[in-house]
Amino acid sequence: MTSLLQVQDLSFSWPGRTVLDDLNFNVESNQLVAVLGVNGAGKTTLLKCINRILSPSAGSINLRSKDVLEMTIMDVAKNVAYVPQSVGTNFPMNVFDVVLLGRRPHLQWFVGEEDRDKVSECLHFLDIDEFAFRRYDQLSGGERQRVVLAKALAQEPHLFLLDEPTSDLDLKHQITTMEKIRSVINDQSRPSSAIIAIHDIDIAAQFSDKIMLLHEGKIRAYGPPKEVLTPELIAEVFGVEAEIQAYSGLLRVVIHGALKNE
Amino acid sequence: MFFVGGETVNTLSAQHLEQGRSQLLKISLMGLLTVLVSLVALGQGSSENLDMWTTVQIIFRDLTCPDGSLLFGSFGCGGDDLRSQIVWELRLPRVLMAIIGGIGLATAGALMQGCLGNPLVSPLTLGVASGAALGAALAIVVGFSITSIGAFAIAGNAFVFSLLVVFLIIQLGRYRSISAESYILVGIAITFIAGAIVSTLQFFATDAQLSQLAHWSFGSLSRPDITVVLGVAICIFALLPQAMMWSWDLNALAMGGDDFAISTGVNPSEIRRNILVLSALMTSVIIAFTGMIGFVGLAAPHMSRLIIGNDYRKLLPASAVCGAFLMVAADTIGRTLFAPIVIPVGIMLAVIGGPVFMYLLLQSKGVQR
Repeated sequence: MTSLLQVQDLSFSWPGRTVLDDLNFNVESNQLVAVLGVNGAGKTTLLKCINRILSPSAGSINLRSKDVLEMTIMDVAKNVAYVPQSVGTNFPMNVFDVVLLGRRPHLQWFVGEEDRDKVSECLHFLDIDEFAFRRYDQLSGGERQRVVLAKALAQEPHLFLLDEPTSDLDLKHQITTMEKIRSVINDQSRPSSAIIAIHDIDIAAQFSDKIMLLHEGKIRAYGPPKEVLTPELIAEVFGVEAEIQAYSGLLRVVIHGALKNE
Repeated sequence: MFFVGGETVNTLSAQHLEQGRSQLLKISLMGLLTVLVSLVALGQGSSENLDMWTTVQIIFRDLTCPDGSLLFGSFGCGGDDLRSQIVWELRLPRVLMAIIGGIGLATAGALMQGCLGNPLVSPLTLGVASGAALGAALAIVVGFSITSIGAFAIAGNAFVFSLLVVFLIIQLGRYRSISAESYILVGIAITFIAGAIVSTLQFFATDAQLSQLAHWSFGSLSRPDITVVLGVAICIFALLPQAMMWSWDLNALAMGGDDFAISTGVNPSEIRRNILVLSALMTSVIIAFTGMIGFVGLAAPHMSRLIIGNDYRKLLPASAVCGAFLMVAADTIGRTLFAPIVIPVGIMLAVIGGPVFMYLLLQSKGVQR
């Protein structure tokens, strides 16, 4: 299997504070990687660096053997779609037009039939076609989150960077949305992968191929959920006492309580 | 890529196409309304009021005059028609200037609101106006003008100084990549500085100079020269296509801010800089000749947002048309309300446009936040 994304020696720091410290990892084609870590561990910063929203202070990022840091912003957008935790706006458009922005990297100026249909397809796929012509600011947080995800799908990228895509969703939509993301990633006819920053360990365990534990700006562990989700690592990274259970083929992390600081 | 829901997809796409058509229809109707108001405006004035039909007849007759006499400055197509001269020579330049000024200021306002992601912004926010005022004050009070060519002393100085201010702000933005909010704050700071200098100049000015300066700052369309009008028109219409080219980038920036824009393939700091330069050019070329007309640049984009929505591909033309309508309507009312006294368009816009604007904002279900 070839690596879709190769990240080498990636570091990022704000003045006086190192956020990412020398990260090295690969993401294979058609894989879903969940990034776990406490607040401030660098999850969002990592996604933003890969998408060129932030400029890394050192390191290289190769996507399908092209250097992301050398690409134009437009070329990055053709290959990478980033979904922020939330998108607020002073000038809301309607949902269809927001999702249509995902076609921006692929069109000149005029919107073709193909672009329009692609948007319709994404809206339908994520089950938000019923409010396709409502204004974005009149939607609930969870609905907005799915709209921005639809925009990312319409972008047809090779790499999805999703920052807590399920944080505002209800229980059912958390599962259906993750299933849909999974099915897009699984599509073997197209090399695409996703890196998902997430707080819900169970969802991460259920849907990801690999889990990356970010701890104080470093990768503490990176591998299949079974290997990474151990009581010892969870205690070290999250400061909680946890027990791992296997339940009809799924991993479940049961938290017994916070560990006392020594 | 994934399951295609044939019928639903077709319905959604068709609905979107339909939405686009209805937006274009609305813009066309607004355009038609503007043309009608302009024809009424051409008939109205202190000397003789013509009804719209007579105005149309005069214009049509002179335009289709077989000897082409209009081109040589003779009116009435052979016959010596005073009404024809009034329409062509006195009223047309003024109405044209109102239309072009409205188009330019409203477009500039929409552009700046979008690229700074802020609904409070108008073309005058970034200190363009205060730069122009400083230039005008220097020309009027001190007699200093960079372009000291008689009639253009004030306008030229206003133009150069307003661009100087924008250049300063852009350079600051280049030096330290600054955020949208910082642009606005720097603009406000410059407005205060330039305002202080203008006040100082006023302190030393003679009564005649003071009155000239006050008149300039009202914003008026009195007696524009037709060559000036055409010159301004060429500038504005040369810049409009570029503004339209950036409408996707504006959509990305206005919709979701910098991070969202980057993930859509837009470089926010670069596009913001370009758009600020473009809208400053549009604004300063107009206010150099008309004086301070600010309100149309704030109100026309917002009125258009209420009618058309926030998609810049439709919003820019809609704002342009709406701006032209507001300017022509306000100027015509200003000319006729207390005729023969002419109330400057800048005052009329605020007096009539302000309440209308507030009414529209409060009427709309979701006030644009």
